[in-house]
Amino acid sequence: MAAVLDVTPENAWTALWRRLQQDRVGAVSLGIVVAYLVMILFATAGYLAGGWSREVGVPYANPAFLGERPNLEGALRKRAEHKGVAPDLSAIDPLAPKYAEWERRTGELKMTEPERAMTLPWGGDRWGRDVLDKAIKGSQVSIAVGVLAALCATVIGTLLGACAGFYGRWVNDVLEWLYNVFTSIPSILLIFSLAAVLRSGAFAHLFASGIWTVVIILSVTGWTGMYRLVRAEYMKHRSREYVLAAQAIGASAAARMFAHILPNVSHVILVQLSLLVVAFIKVEVILSFLGLGVPLDMVSWGTMLSEAQTELVIGKWWQLAAATAFMAVFLTAFSMLTDSLRDALDPRLR
Amino acid sequence: MVPTLAGVIVLIFFLFKFFGGDPSQILAGQVASQEQIDAIRRELGLDQPWYAQLGIFVREIISFDFGKSWMTREQVSGIFLTRLPATLTITIPILLLEISLAIPTAMLVAYYRGRLLDRAVMVICVAAMSVSFLVYIIVGQYLLGFQLGWFPVQGWSDDFWRNLFTYAPLPILLAALVGLAPQTRLYRSFFLDETKSDYVRTARAKGLSEPAIMRKHVLRNALVPVLTNVSLLVPGVFVGSFLLEIFFSIPGLGREIYLAVNRSDYPVIQAVTIYLSVLTMLINLAADVLYTFVDPRIQLR
Amino acid sequence: MSALVSVVNLRVSFVTRQTRVEAVRGVSFDVRHDATLALVGESGSGKTVSAMSILRLLPENAIVDPASRIDYGGENLLAAPAARLRALRGRDISAVFQEPMSSLNPVLTVGEQVAEVLRLHRSMAPRQALERAAELLAEVGIPEPRARLRAYPHELSGGQQQRVMIAMAIANEPKLLIADEPTTALDVTVQRQVLELIARLRERHRMSVLFISHDLGLVGEIADNVVVMREGEVRESGPTQRIFSAPRDPYTRALLACRPRLDTRPRRLPVIDDFMRGGVAPDAALERPPAGANLIEAKGLRKEFRLRTGWFASKSLVAVREVTFGVTRGRTVGLVGESGSGKTTVALLVMRLLEASGGEARLEDTDLLRLSAAQMMAFRRRIQIVFQNPYASLNPRMSIGRTLTEPMRIHRLGADEGERIERARGLLQRVGLPQDAMHRYPHEFSGGQRQRIAIARALAVEPEVLICDEPVSALDVSVQATVLNLLLDLQEERGLAYLFISHDLAVVKYMSDEVLVMREGEVVERGAPEAIYRAPQHEYTRKLLAAVPRGVEGRKFGDGALTSSGTQP
Repeated sequence: MAAVLDVTPENAWTALWRRLQQDRVGAVSLGIVVAYLVMILFATAGYLAGGWSREVGVPYANPAFLGERPNLEGALRKRAEHKGVAPDLSAIDPLAPKYAEWERRTGELKMTEPERAMTLPWGGDRWGRDVLDKAIKGSQVSIAVGVLAALCATVIGTLLGACAGFYGRWVNDVLEWLYNVFTSIPSILLIFSLAAVLRSGAFAHLFASGIWTVVIILSVTGWTGMYRLVRAEYMKHRSREYVLAAQAIGASAAARMFAHILPNVSHVILVQLSLLVVAFIKVEVILSFLGLGVPLDMVSWGTMLSEAQTELVIGKWWQLAAATAFMAVFLTAFSMLTDSLRDALDPRLR
Repeated sequence: MVPTLAGVIVLIFFLFKFFGGDPSQILAGQVASQEQIDAIRRELGLDQPWYAQLGIFVREIISFDFGKSWMTREQVSGIFLTRLPATLTITIPILLLEISLAIPTAMLVAYYRGRLLDRAVMVICVAAMSVSFLVYIIVGQYLLGFQLGWFPVQGWSDDFWRNLFTYAPLPILLAALVGLAPQTRLYRSFFLDETKSDYVRTARAKGLSEPAIMRKHVLRNALVPVLTNVSLLVPGVFVGSFLLEIFFSIPGLGREIYLAVNRSDYPVIQAVTIYLSVLTMLINLAADVLYTFVDPRIQLR
Repeated sequence: MSALVSVVNLRVSFVTRQTRVEAVRGVSFDVRHDATLALVGESGSGKTVSAMSILRLLPENAIVDPASRIDYGGENLLAAPAARLRALRGRDISAVFQEPMSSLNPVLTVGEQVAEVLRLHRSMAPRQALERAAELLAEVGIPEPRARLRAYPHELSGGQQQRVMIAMAIANEPKLLIADEPTTALDVTVQRQVLELIARLRERHRMSVLFISHDLGLVGEIADNVVVMREGEVRESGPTQRIFSAPRDPYTRALLACRPRLDTRPRRLPVIDDFMRGGVAPDAALERPPAGANLIEAKGLRKEFRLRTGWFASKSLVAVREVTFGVTRGRTVGLVGESGSGKTTVALLVMRLLEASGGEARLEDTDLLRLSAAQMMAFRRRIQIVFQNPYASLNPRMSIGRTLTEPMRIHRLGADEGERIERARGLLQRVGLPQDAMHRYPHEFSGGQRQRIAIARALAVEPEVLICDEPVSALDVSVQATVLNLLLDLQEERGLAYLFISHDLAVVKYMSDEVLVMREGEVVERGAPEAIYRAPQHEYTRKLLAAVPRGVEGRKFGDGALTSSGTQP
C-alpha cells in the first residue's frame, strides 16, 4: 500500500520544505542550526572538545589576540603549586565535599601535562582550561538538555491535551484541575521544590550525575503550555466534519485521535516544541548557574556564566563572551527558524 | 480555586513525602544517635500515618504556622512575612514597567507592520531574547554599578522609599528591559491578529484614519489577549525577581528559598511555595474580574 | 440618468510571495443615480474585489492597474489621496458586509459604533450623536432602539446585527451604499426582511445601491440593472427584466436554469457545461419509485443538551423533539429548516454520532440507538453520511486514495489492499474524477470535486442509506446542479434511501418524495413536496415559501410596489 499510494507529488511536509527554502532568513537560520548540530555530533563522539577539562594553559590564560596583556594570576600560578580555590558559592553549596575529589582529579590530570600555555585561542578559565573547548562542550550539554526536555514535555503535554480535548467531560475536568494546580505554582518554585527533593531526597542516588535531573525538572514543569495548546486544537478538531466522517465509517477513538487529528495539529505542536527548546535552554542556563542544573563535572553555558561573574570583576571577560556568543547565535538562529516554520505552516498564508 | 488549592497542597505534600529524603536524617545530620532521630520524628509527627501527616500539613497552612526553619530555627511564618515586602518592592514595579512599555511599543510596530521599523524592532527583539537573563544582570551590574557607579552594586535597607529609589532601580530596570523584548513580540502578534478582523474593515469603511482605528478599535480588542497573558506572566516574573535577589543580595523570598533549597530546608520551601501559589491564584482571580470590564462577551459565572 | 460612479477597465491583481493572480480583468460598469445595480457571480468571479475597489478597501497585497479608473463626481477615486478617500467613506459612499457578527466591533456598544460615524463626518457632540443613533436604529427596525444603544453586538441576533450595520451605513445619507452579500449569512426568512429594508431605505433616501450577490434569483427581485461576472470578467450586463427574459450569454442562461425551481421538476438539472457547449434539450420530468416498506425509520427522536450553568446547576435545552419519519429504498425524505431547527442534529442522532435522549432509529428491524458500540460497527457500513462543508469533511493530511480505502479497510471489504485500490479507482471514476486523484490531497481540488470525493468515501462501504446533510449548501450554484444530478444518478443505480437535509426549500423540493419542515426542533409540517408547495398548511411553511427568491417573477420592489408591501421587523 505504501508503495502504491504514498508517492505523493506534494504533501504537507514537502510543501513546507519548499516554502522554507524560499525564505532567505529561514534558510540561513536552518544552516546555522544544522552547523551547531554537526558540532554537537562531533563533540558527542569525542572528536571535538574531548579534552575540555584538561588544564592546558595557565590560569586565566589570555586569548591569543591579547597575548601581551598582563596576567598576574597566570604568572603566579605558573610558579606556585595549584591549590584550587573553592568557588564563592561554596558556603551554601551542598556539593562542597565533591570539591575534594574534583581537586584530586584535576591534580592527577595536571601531572600528566608537560607544559602550560600562556595564551589560548580564546583564553582560559581559572584552572587554565580552554574556553573555546568549554563553549563547544557546553553547547552540547545545554542544547541536549533543552531538546530532550522539550521532547519529554511535548509528549506529556500532547497526550494529556489530546485526551482532555478529545474526550471532554470528566476527563477534561480532571486534567483541567491538574493543569490549574501546576500553573498556580510559580514555575520557579516548582523547579526549586523538585530540585530540592531530587537532589537530597529518596531517589537522589538515581540522579546523582548526568543531565536527567534537569530534563525531568524542566519537562515536569514545562508541559502545561503544550497541554493547553493541544487541548484547544483537539476541541476544535473533534467536532470537525472530517472527524465525524471518520467516526461514521467506523474509525475507533484512538484512530481518530492519532491517525486523523494528530497529523492536522502537528504543525502547532512542532512550532510549540521549538519554542520550548529555546525556553528550556534559557532556563537550564539559569538553573546551572544556581547550581541546580547539570552536575559540576559537566560544563554547560550556565556553569560557564556562573564562573564568568567573578571573572568579570578582575577583567577576564572572555569566558562570558564565549558562552554568550555561542548561546545567542544558536538561539537567534533557532528562533528565526521557528518563525519561518510558523509562517510556512500558517494556513492563512497558503 | 478551592479544588486547585487542595491540589497544590496535596502535590507539594506528596512530592516531599515520597521523593524528598527522610527529614529526620536531614535534620539530625550524619552523627545523630537513634534516640535523637526518634525524638525528631516524634516532634515532626513522622511516626504517624501519612494521612495524619497530611492533616498536620493542612493545619499548618491554615494556621499559618509551619514551625521553625530546620536550619536557622527562625519561625517560617516570620520568614515569609519579613521577606515578602522586598520581593514585592521589585516585582510589582517590574510588572508595571514591562507592560506599560511593551503595549505602546507593540502598537507602534504593529502600526508599521511589514515596514523597516517593524522588521528592525523584531530582529532586535529576537537577538535580545537570545541572550541569557544572567548576562544582562552580570554585565549590567558590572557596567552600571561597578564601573560607572550610577547605581549601588548591591544592598538593601529597612526603609521602603530608600529601597525603592536607591537599591531597586537597577534590578528593576534590568528585568524590565529583558522582559520588554518577548512582551513586545507577543503583543505585536495580538495587535496584528486584530488588524486582520472584519470590524477593522468596517471602521475603514466609516472613514476613520488608521491611527484612529488603532486607538479606538484595535487597542480595546487586543487588550483581551494581553490581559490573559499578564495573568500568565505573573508566575514568570518571580523567576526574574528571584535571580535579581540572589545577585543583588536583596533579602526577599527568592533568595531565602534559594538558600533553603541548598540546605534542604523543607518547611521553608513548602511554605513559600504554597503561599506564593495562593498569591498567584488571587492575581488570576483579579484578572478574571478585570476581564469582564475589557470584554463584554465574558460574564462572570 | 447619468452615472453616479463609473468603473472603467478595472484591473486588480493579488501578489503572494511567488505568484501574481489577476482577479479582476478589465471590468467596466456604471452605477446610476437613485437605482440599484447588482453584481452577480460565483466565488472567484471578482465581484467583491470590483465593488470594494470603489472604496479602496482591498487586502494589502492587492495591486490596482494604474490604467484603471473609477470616476465619482469628476474625480478618479483610484488616484485620490488617502485623506480625500477617508472623507468620502461613510459619508458619500458606505458599505455593508457579509458577516455582521465579525464586522461589528465586539467590545464597543452598538450606540458607540453608530454614533462614531456621525461624530466623525458631522462633528456632532457625543450626546447629540447618540440621539441620532437611536433614531437610526428605529428607522432600520430595531425594537426599543434607545435601550439597544447600550447593547453589545453579541447580544443581538444576526438579522439585528445586519440592521445595525445598515444604520451605520445610512447615517450620513450616502449617495451610494455598497452591500456585499448582505444577506448570505442570514436565514432565508431574515434575508427577506433585510432585503426589503434595503430596498425601502434606498427608495426613501434616494440613494444608489451596489448589491453584490451570488444569487441571481435574489437579485432579480431587487435590482434595476444586473452585471453578471465570471472569473474576473463581465459576461453580460443590462436591465434586470431583459437579463431574465432574454439572457444573451450562455453563462447567464446556465445560471438561470441550473437552480432547481419550485414550480417544475425536470429529470435532471441542466448544468453549466450544457449551456457553454450550446443549447440544452428539454428534459422529461423526474420519475420516482413508489413507496414501500421502510428501510430506515425514526420514531419519536429526541435530543436534550445539558448546559452547565454552575458547579452543580444545569439547564436542559431541547434540540430535537419527537421527530418521526421513514425512508423506503430508492426514495428520499427531505428535511428543511433554518439554522437552529435541529435538522443536522437529527442526522447525527440517526448516525449515532450523537447519543439520542429518546426515541428509536430502526434500520429494518434493528434499533440502532440500543446497540453497543461494537454491534453498531456492522451497521455503520449500511448507513453513511455526506456533510455540508467539503472543505472540512475531508482530512487535509490524507491522500484521496487513503481517504477512500480507509473505510474498506476498517470494514474488511476487498480481499487485499490491491483490490481496495481497484475499488477506490472505480469509485473515483463513478463520481467523475480522474484516476490520478488517488495520489493527491484535498486542497488540490475545488469544492465540487471535494464533495464528489466525500460522496465516493460514503459509497466505499456500499451503504443502503445515505444521509445528505446540506450537501450542496457550500457550493456555487452551477456546481450544485452537477452534485444533485450525481446524487440522483447514484440513487437510481443503487436503490439508495436518502435523508436529504437542507435550508433551501427549492433544493429539498426538487430532491424529495416527502418533505418535513422543521422549526425549533419540531416538525411543523410534512407531506408530498407538491402539496406543500401548492397548499402549505402551517404559517411557518408559508413564510419559508414566501422567502425563496424567485427572480423577476417574485419582484415586489420598485415602481410603487414597495410602498404597499410594508415590512415589519
